Amino acid sequence: MKTYIQLFTLIFLAASCAKDADLATDQANFTRIYDSNKFDASYYPIDIKQTPDEGFLILGGRRLTDSNLSGTYLMKIDKLGAYVSDLEVPTDKVGPIGPLLETNGKYYFFSMTPVGLNIQLCEVDANGGISKTIAVVGDAAIGYPAAAFNDNGNFLLLRYDNLKKESVVDLVSTAGVTTNSKGFSIGAGDGVEAQFITHFTRTGRQFPFQVGKAAGKYFFNGFYQYNFSLVFADFADNSKPAIVFGQAANGGFSSIVPLDGTKFAASRFNSGDNYLVPNAIFKTGADNKSNFTDEDLAGNYLPELSPNATVRIISATVNGKDIILYGSNTRSKQISLYGYDKATGKFIGSRYLGFSNPFEIAAMTTTKDGGLAVCGTTYVAGRFPRICLFKISKDELAKSFK
Amino acid sequence: MRKIYLVLLLVSVALGAQAQGKKRAAAFNANKQKANANQFIEQQWWLGFKAGINMAQADPIKRYTILTPTNYSSSLVEKKYDAFKEIGIQTTVEISYYYKGFYFSTQPSYISSTFTYSNQLQWVNATNVNEQLTQTYKQTQKVEYADLPFIIKYDITGSKLRPFVQVGIFYSLLLNAVKTVEVSSIDQATGGTNTINSEPLIVGAKDLFSSYWGLMGGIGASYQFGNVRLVLDATYRQSMSNIANPQNRFINDRLSGIGDAQDDLNLKNITISAGVLFPMRYLSSSFKSNDR
Repeated sequence: MKTYIQLFTLIFLAASCAKDADLATDQANFTRIYDSNKFDASYYPIDIKQTPDEGFLILGGRRLTDSNLSGTYLMKIDKLGAYVSDLEVPTDKVGPIGPLLETNGKYYFFSMTPVGLNIQLCEVDANGGISKTIAVVGDAAIGYPAAAFNDNGNFLLLRYDNLKKESVVDLVSTAGVTTNSKGFSIGAGDGVEAQFITHFTRTGRQFPFQVGKAAGKYFFNGFYQYNFSLVFADFADNSKPAIVFGQAANGGFSSIVPLDGTKFAASRFNSGDNYLVPNAIFKTGADNKSNFTDEDLAGNYLPELSPNATVRIISATVNGKDIILYGSNTRSKQISLYGYDKATGKFIGSRYLGFSNPFEIAAMTTTKDGGLAVCGTTYVAGRFPRICLFKISKDELAKSFK
Repeated sequence: MRKIYLVLLLVSVALGAQAQGKKRAAAFNANKQKANANQFIEQQWWLGFKAGINMAQADPIKRYTILTPTNYSSSLVEKKYDAFKEIGIQTTVEISYYYKGFYFSTQPSYISSTFTYSNQLQWVNATNVNEQLTQTYKQTQKVEYADLPFIIKYDITGSKLRPFVQVGIFYSLLLNAVKTVEVSSIDQATGGTNTINSEPLIVGAKDLFSSYWGLMGGIGASYQFGNVRLVLDATYRQSMSNIANPQNRFINDRLSGIGDAQDDLNLKNITISAGVLFPMRYLSSSFKSNDR
């Protein structure tokens, strides 16, 4: 009897201290869908940044009834994923683009005015409020902003200049002053411009415009001479760019992240098919010409991805190992994550997020607790576009990407 | 069932015969035999089998949600737990040691409980009331546990019909869990009132739950029928630790996708069981196990 009682005591002690929820557990893993009960509301996220309080700031867009362009939406959530506040930014700021550019404790994004296409830089505080709107002056004052990049406190801006029919890369300060600018013709005629317009009005295909810096140059992923190409250049007048040609709007790169020198993690699309290229080497020297289908850029073909899928790439450290994480969308309407060893490009695991309703990726970021935040769009009740957030703990990542 | 009964019967007869043999050898005279008999019948081992039904209710310790309202109150989408609505089953093997009116008992059980909850979502166009959708999510959660209780039971009277009270402590070992989600919608944006009932989503949910411990108390009565006892009892069981697994709260994408997050829960059960108990030893062929 004594042994029996001792056995029970041990079991009960083990059970009672086993698994009560705590703050760390609640913060480590969660899934959230941020819902509005407005039948006609439509929200989509553009980028997410973790704020110093370990909460998150989400830049998004929203449907406007009085403009062909998207409105701007900001949301602040806490470290447990709970909703704190949101802001339906007034309609004088439309066509917002990511990423959220963080410098000196402030967050910035580019948008434009609905009339006149005046580009403006919006300063956002960590609580999701717009603290300042700065009109961009100089060459970058007018156009359709397409992509941005934080270049050590100044911002690279890729925009479409509809007057000159050019893809233009600008360097803009936080005061909104354009300090450098260089344009690249998209080609004569209206064919390419039509695709720009449907992209900006979100009535057609969303192109993976991107601008960044690598190997001492800036690069942009956008239209150049009729093709959706990857272009490496600098601002010197007489420099000749290096070009990795795409094929019209049918083929090109869907995401690029510089790793080391001319080594990149990339993904490409070709007539709807998608390829992940964890160890891409681009020829970035002046006047180099190559093609997005070159043999050394073949990569891994993923037929499970949706046609011309959105792809996001980040570097992360999981299990003490540097990895490259790809996030994309599957044909089955899930968000898929793929991990590759950063040094070797070897596949190390995958994970799928979302089910039942459609889910689409918008952005992902590593978090201060070693986890991962994946932000996307889901269609609640199969129809209402709403922002969703998956927080995956360090331990869960370690299980998925060994 | 018949096989179990036969096995229990054989075991009890064998143990009874063994007890009688030992007792005969020790009985020298009538007085001493009577004194020994009194001492003997103050103790007894009982072995039995019970089965019955139960009803469960889950109470949230801490609520969790996936669908997070931005422009309406979270109370509008809060899950509403039903009280003791669905019927589950349990089967029990009872092993009890009787001493002077008290039973010290363990009653290992298989218990399958079902509790339900629901919530409702609504989207409305403020400028066009014809555009609205109402969705009702009904979740049916079945959990299966192996119970290991320690119970003290006391006979209130010593007659042929013996009412008793019992209290105990138990540990419930998780065996399995299955969740069924039924979604029904009323869509008024399609030009009329469109009622949609989707096929239930049935998902294995063992990862969402864990083993737990709890306390129990109840009443019942046993009735002497020949040399066995028929027993009927009703017990209230209350978990004292969280039955959910916080680590895996959001791990099931099928459930997360439709906005279901597992709350931290306490589980309450009301069980009603009936069965039969067999004495494990007999003083003599004329001596009944209920004598004292």
